[in-house]
Amino acid sequence: MNDKYKFVEFLGLRFNVANDLSVIVSAILVFILVFALSRKVTMRPGKAQNVLEWMIDFTNSIVKSAMPDGSGKQFNLYAFVLFLFIFVSNQLGLFFQLKIGGFTYVKSPTSNPLITMGLATISLLVSHYYAVKKFGFGGYLSNYARPVKFLLPINLLEEFTNFLTLSLRLYGNIFAGEVLLALIGTVAKSLGAVTFIAAMPLAMVWQGFSVFIGAIQAYVFTTLSMVYISRKLEQE
Amino acid sequence: MAGLLVLGANQVALGDMLFILVSFIVLALLVKHYAWGPVTKMMDARSEKITGDLDYADQERSRAEKLAKEREDALKNSRAEAVEIVNKAKESGETQKKSIVSDAHSEAEELRQRAKSDAAKAREDAMSGAQNDIANLSLEIASKVISKELNADDQKSLIDSYIKELTVNETK
Repeated sequence: MNDKYKFVEFLGLRFNVANDLSVIVSAILVFILVFALSRKVTMRPGKAQNVLEWMIDFTNSIVKSAMPDGSGKQFNLYAFVLFLFIFVSNQLGLFFQLKIGGFTYVKSPTSNPLITMGLATISLLVSHYYAVKKFGFGGYLSNYARPVKFLLPINLLEEFTNFLTLSLRLYGNIFAGEVLLALIGTVAKSLGAVTFIAAMPLAMVWQGFSVFIGAIQAYVFTTLSMVYISRKLEQE
Repeated sequence: MAGLLVLGANQVALGDMLFILVSFIVLALLVKHYAWGPVTKMMDARSEKITGDLDYADQERSRAEKLAKEREDALKNSRAEAVEIVNKAKESGETQKKSIVSDAHSEAEELRQRAKSDAAKAREDAMSGAQNDIANLSLEIASKVISKELNADDQKSLIDSYIKELTVNETK
């Protein structure tokens, strides 16, 4: 928890090297995964294609549960990439952490609030974009005063709470997982061999649980994104 | 680290948000081009093919059922036809037999009648011929033997009565 990060200034913006490297590593892992699974696309699917189609069906079902009328087909790809990216990001820090000279370079990118806020921003941008596209800008604005006018401030506030809950839920879960893992690590080192042996099963259990949490959070993030998009696309 | 937890601190790296936005979009495009596109296209094609195959199977089945029904009907019809043909043949055979037998009967009857009448006529002819011959002969014999002046008519009636007696005896 006393990690140090390298920062880079570019075009007046600060970049956290650890976050950006982790994002790139996650993205590359996701791409390698789907690229490897989609090499031989045939009418009778092989093992790899079956796995990929199973994942696609899974994310498609998430979209379909939020938009049952079939209007959500255009978000299938978005849900698929979002789910895989968050899932891989969540697991990345559990298996692979790179520290050189006291500076962290690779970890779970989702254990940083700015990254999760970036992901939430993408989701909300998508929802607002498609709402404007569907209702026109005037219709989009008037949707804030529905179903009754006095709900306008609550609806406006909801936009911010949606954004914060969506991003901070993911961040909190993954960050807490990493904190606890680090704490178990310090326990292991505190009193030599005894605590080391005692901490090992703990670390294993917590790591397994973190894999579970990472999968659940990826699912939750994707589901809520789709719910927000679908709520923007319907008039109450 | 504390700086990262509090928005607005001087350590906040807002560039990261831009970075993940760009990298996410690039990732989505790459995934779409290399994996999503081909696989979903194939999935759609497969579901289309399955629907088509199911439709085709349904069509074929109904066609086969229709065909089987047609065949069955034809078979039933042909059986009835065969029975009819056999019946007709039997009937015509029966009538033919009847007509042949009755023809033969009538012909035989006719033949018999003709033969009977022929025989009767022949006998009558023979009888009358013999009567005349016998009458003449006996007349001659009588005139020669008796040479008595006997009227020929009396003589004839005498002989006739005699012969009648003879024939009555013969038919007995």
